[in-house]
Order: sequence, then C-alpha cells, then structure tokens
Amino acid sequence: MLTRRYFLRASAIAAAGSGMAPLWLVRAVAGAERRRKILISIFQRGAADGLNIVVPFFESRYYTLRPTIAIPAPGAANGGIDLDGRFALHPSLRQLKTFWDSGQLAIIHAAGSPAATRSHFEAQDQMESGTPGRTTEDGWLNRALPFPVADASPIRAVAMGAKMPRTLRGNRGGIAVNDLAQFQNRSPELSSMLQNMYAATPDAGLAAPGKGAFDAMRLIDSINRTTYTPANGAQYTGEFGAALRQIARLIKADAGVEAAFADIGGWDHHSNENGSLPGLLQQFGNSLTAFARDMGDRMEDIVLVTMSEFGRTAREDGNAGTDHGHGNVMFVLGGSVRGGRVLGRWPGLEPEQLFEKRDLEVTTDFRSVLGELVQGQFGQPINQVFPGYQAPAPLGLLNT
Amino acid sequence: MKRVASARTAILLVLAMGLSVGAGGRFDQKLAAEKQIPHALSRLTFGARPGAAAEVSRIGLDAWIDLQLHPERSVENPALAAKVAPLESLNLAPWQIAEKYILPQSMSARPLPSPQSLLTPAQLTMLTTGSVPERLATLDSLTPDVRRQVLAVAPDRIMDGMPQNIRQESARARQAEQEARQKEMRRQAPPLNELLAPDQQRIARNGSNADKLALLESLDPETRRHVIRAVGPQAFIGLPELRRQSMALSQPQQLVNSELIENKLYRAIHSNRQLEEVLVDFWMNHFNVYNGKGQTRVLLTSYERDAIRPHVFGRFRDMLLATARHPAMLIYLDNAQSQAPRDDQTLANASGAATRRPGLNENYGRELMELHTLGVDGGYTQEDVIAVARAFTGWTVYDAAKYAEFQFNPNTHDRKEKIILGHTLAPGRGEQDGLDVIDLLARHPSTARFISWKLAQRFVADDPPQSLVDRMAATFTKTDGDLRAVLQTLFSSTEFWSEGAWQAKLKSPLELVVSAVRALDSDAVDTFALAQRIADLGEPLYGKVEPTGYPNTGEGWASAAGLMGRINFATALTSGQIPGVRFDISQFNFKPPAIVARELLGGSLSSATLEAIEKGIEGREATPSMLTAAVLGSPEFQRR
Repeated sequence: MLTRRYFLRASAIAAAGSGMAPLWLVRAVAGAERRRKILISIFQRGAADGLNIVVPFFESRYYTLRPTIAIPAPGAANGGIDLDGRFALHPSLRQLKTFWDSGQLAIIHAAGSPAATRSHFEAQDQMESGTPGRTTEDGWLNRALPFPVADASPIRAVAMGAKMPRTLRGNRGGIAVNDLAQFQNRSPELSSMLQNMYAATPDAGLAAPGKGAFDAMRLIDSINRTTYTPANGAQYTGEFGAALRQIARLIKADAGVEAAFADIGGWDHHSNENGSLPGLLQQFGNSLTAFARDMGDRMEDIVLVTMSEFGRTAREDGNAGTDHGHGNVMFVLGGSVRGGRVLGRWPGLEPEQLFEKRDLEVTTDFRSVLGELVQGQFGQPINQVFPGYQAPAPLGLLNT
Repeated sequence: MKRVASARTAILLVLAMGLSVGAGGRFDQKLAAEKQIPHALSRLTFGARPGAAAEVSRIGLDAWIDLQLHPERSVENPALAAKVAPLESLNLAPWQIAEKYILPQSMSARPLPSPQSLLTPAQLTMLTTGSVPERLATLDSLTPDVRRQVLAVAPDRIMDGMPQNIRQESARARQAEQEARQKEMRRQAPPLNELLAPDQQRIARNGSNADKLALLESLDPETRRHVIRAVGPQAFIGLPELRRQSMALSQPQQLVNSELIENKLYRAIHSNRQLEEVLVDFWMNHFNVYNGKGQTRVLLTSYERDAIRPHVFGRFRDMLLATARHPAMLIYLDNAQSQAPRDDQTLANASGAATRRPGLNENYGRELMELHTLGVDGGYTQEDVIAVARAFTGWTVYDAAKYAEFQFNPNTHDRKEKIILGHTLAPGRGEQDGLDVIDLLARHPSTARFISWKLAQRFVADDPPQSLVDRMAATFTKTDGDLRAVLQTLFSSTEFWSEGAWQAKLKSPLELVVSAVRALDSDAVDTFALAQRIADLGEPLYGKVEPTGYPNTGEGWASAAGLMGRINFATALTSGQIPGVRFDISQFNFKPPAIVARELLGGSLSSATLEAIEKGIEGREATPSMLTAAVLGSPEFQRR
C-alpha cells in the first residue's frame, strides 16, 4: 500500500525536465518513505447555524426556541439522523453519517471563538488569524507549518480561490489557486520574461506572490498534463465540490501539499432558513464525502477541519431565520480521527445558560481543536501557532 | 514582426523619473514634481489614457482636479452617450422594468386549467367527494371538450376506484395535454436544429461574427428572431445588439443586470468624468447590495442611478437615507421583512403545525452601524443593534415583484420607546424613528472618522495616516457630511501629495482591467467579455454576496492566483483575444521597450522591470503585443 500511496507521478518528473528537476521533487521521489501529513481547513463564511446542522434533539427547549425552523427529532418526518441519542445530523448531511459510523468523523459542539463580536468580517479575520479579539497579518495555518527549507514545494500550502485567505497568509509559503486549468501562460518567452521581472522587482508586496505564481505554474502545468478521474466513484458537487476536487488532485500528484484551504459562503440565513440551508448543506456534506472517498486510504494522513466565524441565535428570528450568535459546531474528518463522538461540554439552551441570554455558549475554544490537530499533524507547539493561548486538556481528537 | 530596438538613452530618461515602490510611512516627504500628474491620474481616474498627462498639464493640475470634483462643468465624451443609448433598461423605473422584462416572462407559460375553472361548484363537490357512480354520472354530464380537460388535470384521488376504461381515458387525456403543451412550446421557441440546416447551425454557433451576420441576413425576420434566441447570448460576444436581443428573448431578467454591468464598464472606460465613476464604484461597494438575492437583480439599476450616483458629491446623510429607503437595500438586508416583535409570536395553523408571525430581523440594523456608518469599533452594543432594528420596523417594500416602491407600514412598526446610543426615541413616532436614526448616525463622530478613513484608504494608502483622517473627519463634521468638501480636504493634503502615497495601492481587478484597456487607448464596442474577465479575477460586478463589499486593500488581491490571472489577462488583451475591445497595436511598432513601458506606466517603471524586458527580448523578434503584455503584466502596472 505504501508504495502505491507515495508513488510519484512519472509525468511530474518528466515535465520538470531532465537534469533540472527541482530539489524538492527529487527529494519527494527519493524520500518517499516519509509520510507527509496534511491538514485541510474549511471555512463556512457567513456564520453557519450549528444548532440546525447538528441538532440537540434531546433539548425540548430547542423546539420551544425554534417553533418553525427546528429540525424534527430522528424518526419523525424530515427528522434528523440520530448520532448518539442526543444529537442528530441535519437530514441533508446523510452522506456524512458513513464516516461517523466508521469513526472517522468527530463533532465538537458549542465550539467557537471566545471573542464576543457579531461582525462577520471581524470574526472571520480573528478566527483566520487564530487570535480572538485581534487580527494578525498572518494566519494560523501558515504559522502551523514548519519553517520552509529553501526547496520547499511551491504548493506546500494551497488555498482555492482568486484571493489569498488570511488563514494561509504568512512567511512560510502558501499560494492561492483559482482554477488549475487556467494556472498557466501559453507563451514561454513572455513567461520567462515576467518570471525574471517578478524575481528582481523591488516591490516587496508583489515579489513573493510573483515567485509563488511562477514556481507553482511549472508544477501545475505538469499536473495538468494528465487527466483526472476521482477514485471510488466520488461525485463532487457545486463550487465547493470543485474546490475540493482540485485539492484532491494536487494531493494525489504527490507534489508536496501539506496544508490546504477552501471556503464555502452563503450561510447568513436571516430569513427563510429552511428554504436555503438544505441545498447548501447538501453541497457541503456531499463534497466532503466525495473528497474522503476520492482520497481513499490517503485519508490516514489527512485531517480536515471545518469552522464558521460564529453561530446563530438560539431563538429563531421574526422571519423564519436566525440572527448573529456565538457558539457553533466544528467537524473533524480523517483516517486518524477518533470519531463517532460529539465532544465538548454541552452548555444547555435555558435562558441563563445562553451567552448574553440569546446565543449558544462557547465551551470549547476553537484554538483547542485546531491546536490538537496542528500538534498531531505537524508536531508544532500550540502556543507558537496560537500565541498567548493556554490550551486545556486535549480532547483526544486523533489516534496517536 | 517588428524588431524592437533597445535605446539606452531612453532608459536613462525613464530612470531619471525616480522610482520608489511600496514606500509606506513617508507621508511627510513631498512627491517629486514630475510624479504629481501621473499620481493624480492614477487616483482620480480608472487609469490614464495616452495623452492624458499632457491634457492635465495644459489645463493645470488644480483646475483639472476641480473639474473632476464638479463633473457637471465638463463636457462628457459624446462617444459614451452613443454606447449607452441602446441600454434601454437603464432609464426605467423598477415598475417599468418589471412590466417589460419580468412579468411577460412569468405569463408566457399557459397555465393548466384548474378543475375549479371548468366545473360548477356542485359538479366539483360531486367529483371530488362523491361515490364512484356519482363521479361517473358527473363526468357523463359534461361536454366532450370539458370532460377531456377535466380528465387531463384530475388529481389521482378522483380516479380512485374508477373503472379501468375511465382511468385509461384519463391517462390518454393527460398525455395529449402534455404533448400539446410541448408542441406549443416548440412553436414558441423552436430549437436550432428545426430552424437551420446542419452547416448553418455550425455557423450560427461557432462561425466568425461576419459569417453569423451574413447568415442572419439571409433569413426571414421570424426565423431570424428564433435563431437569435435559440443560439443564445454567448454566441454574440462582440456583437452587443444581437447579444442583447438574444438575452431579451431567452433570459430577459439577465438582460437588466447585464446592461447595468455594460453601463458601468462603458463609463469607466470612456467617461470624461472619471472621478464621478470612481466614486460611484466606491460607494456602491460601501453600500453593497448583492445581485443574487430576490428582486435585487432588477432593482440595482435604480439603486445605483437613484440612491448612489446623485449623492457622490453631495451629503452623506442624503445617500445614507436613499440607501435605507431603497427596495434593493430593504430586500438585501431583510429589513423589508422585519416587523415589531410580538408576545403572541407563535400561532398554530389549521393543520396544527406551528407557524410564526413575522417579527424582528437584526440584519440591517447591525450592518447599518458596522459597515455603513459608525464602523465596527464605533461604539455601539448588541442592545443598540436591536433598538435600531426596532426603529426601522415598518420600513418595507410595496409589491416587490411588480412595483417595488418604498412603503412605511404602520401596522408592522414597533411603537414602543427605543434607546439608541443613549438617545431616546419616544413611543409612537412611526416612520420618524428611522429618519431620526439616519440623522443620528450620519452626524455621529464615529461616522465622520469611519467614512474619512475609508475614503483615505481608497485614495491614499491601505493604512492611511491618522493626521489626514482627522482633518477629513473635521471637514465632514464642520460641513454636515459634505462629501465634496471632504474630498477637497483629501486632494489638497500633504499626505495625498507625498512619496508615501505614490504607487501605494494595488489595483482591484476592475481597476486593473479598465486601466489596461484605457492605457492602450482602446475603444470598447462590447464590454461583455471584459466583465467576464473581471469576474474571473475575483470581482464579479454587483456580485459580492457579503455586505462588506470587496476589499479596499491590496493584501487580499496580491495572490499567486491573482497575479497569474492578471498576467493572462494582459496576454489575452494585447494579442487581441478579448472580443469587443479595439485598439491599434501598431502605435507601439518600432518603439524601444523603455518608451513603450514609459507610455503605459506613466513614470513608475523600475530599472528591474526594464532590464527583465530588455534581456527577455535580446536577440529575438519581439512583437508589440508581447512587449505590451510584459508591461501590462509588470508589478508596476498592478499598482496605482
């Protein structure tokens, strides 16, 4: 299995050209014995409604607070999918249940940022920075990477999209890729002219992305020369699915991916939540499922974690939606995950148990979840990635 | 192929212009005199056209800025009027847009007749609740035509227990009805293969524009209309009139949004009143409305024209109020649905399921303070968010699908007292509550600071100097939010005219694309493909989902993907692969790289960039398109 898993695509070497294969590529071929751990961060932008995604159906208070938008208990028509007799998955996440059953999916409820802000952009910036209460220039996932050696892969940390998300900004490498097929320039002369230009530019803000772009271009060009068919009948859906499919493709090319980022927007359901949440969740759940299927036994080395800037009000609002809240739910998916459990202390939904009498309380700091994953995957100390954070006892998310 | 010589003298000349990139923190160092005009052009316009610097120099820099601040005093480019004249939806009110583009579409499908419309009440009761013999007798009493129609639409339960022959008769009637409808649809909208021979279909889909035009010319008017619809708008890129016609026939709602985008790009590329267009873009982004939520797609035309554009040199308070009352904003941030909270919120409906009366929605109240006025650190609390939301209950939209007009509905307004930022709004004041909140927020010191900071960030640097923001905020307060006065303070500041501001801003995708088109002195005959490119670079116009709008700063846009996309755009543009954009590449024939770079970059060229170009073309044929692609793809051109 190991030889297959770490087999480097011949085309990648061929494309790099004889005698000029970059060192990281040579090392990747020669050093195939080193298992590369991968951490993937998924951001649900717009504040996903954790209480309708993983439903506390044992709480009668949940049904009192949400008379029209509550997800019925398992067994009822359109009911949730029972996880442990207390919590249920939204019915649109049916496909994820497989991973719960096989112990590869862990759920942390009432998780989130201790900062009280209910501003989307501020909370996103702070969560992506990994520093509640303030925003830093670099992101937690960039700081989580070991410092790059000179010949690190140009796609060691890759974000899907036209813009570089804060999560991956920083000085340890990382590039944004919008569309693999478009990541090329058809004129080699112009390409090399521009590459030299960006290599020599005094413009500090553009030199790094310029270098990243041209380094990655050669590599991605070689990957593009093969066609890609997802394994195990995996079916990616929607824009989010397309992003995960590209991440899967880069990982399977064995080109040195260590961290990846993708986001999915549209969770800000202030009205008619049950009209729009199911479709979005279906895209979300089915795409995560497709990714895990496509990765097959590579999932042993991959951990994928989901988050959203904050949760939504425990009580539904005046328009069958929910307003900006606090605590939320996180998913951790991977072959080494000790899953099949809903982790974290459940704070309850009675008025005095709610944060500011309206929102689910945060009982698990998102940094403690991410910290465990960073430590497990990269061996990085938690307080280097999350400065000033004193992590509590670990939740035991990963098999060690 | 033209050989482009290198000229050392020209390099020296260019380098003498002086170069400094990303120079933060030098806001007290005066900008060199020769950089002043290029600087002003880079900030007050969507990029300089050839000859613009000479024109500004002729008028005088101060006079030119003044002219930009008073667009009504300058003569508009007559070519622009001709380009936007065919965009008919631009001048229509929302109800007219609904009448012309939306309602006809929803009515074109012939509704199925309902049993209610075909039968007397007694017959209907007998048919739905009667025994089998009663139902059979009712059917026998009908005329053959009505009987056929009833059987075609009858629900399954009416067929329960009926004899086999009646059930078969119903199935036949259903099928006949379905076939008739399909036939009707094909008659109204025949597919391409029923209209044209196979070779003609190929031309209609993939032929050159000239061949497409010749083909259409050869058809009778009726067939031509069908072909234009069936082949779809994508087939007519570069032929804007046919593309619009195709869109009008196949997706009329899209046409409204498409014309709005065309208008924005024609104006950005061709208007003489550049600052006004820059500001319309800035304020549309500040008061962002996403074109994909409910009716906003067709309301944005009026939103930009009536709520934003008239106020960009006016009072902030007036723009704020215009956005607050506009149906596009009321729908986008859910205020149209927000109603006074009630004690008896939850009801049980007839079938016993819980339903809820509409109640309070915090969305607009929060974004109004966080994003539109005070800023996230402007000093408001969650209680203020709720109180503001309550003040705006009743501010809604009258018949969004048809008339889409602002309406104050006293029945859904929260009449109780509210306390907002320490101010008390007495009970029972109705619509005045919202008006008072607008005034309170528009005149709040946090708003003066936040708006000044954001304008300084657009025009000076990502992290603008506090001294400048303070002076702009003072002008804002002193003039009761006169936005022209605030801009005058900005454009006469030492910080604006400093080395720290020079080339300090990274262009957004819109700014990059439009500035490249302008730098080549292009004529845009169609902007459809340009809009697609801007979207691919991460900035779909009118398509930002989140109320924050697109980033005003460079950090988000400076990515590997972004740069690769920009370089590829430059390559496509200069090699003539963007349909609808016409320019004369021969203007760069026989010119040495230093001169071409100088013409396109307006004095920001670095020696590193020039050396890379010269080395790259050494000893080979360099076409003008490759040379211009290299300059438009350079780091310098990504900045303004």
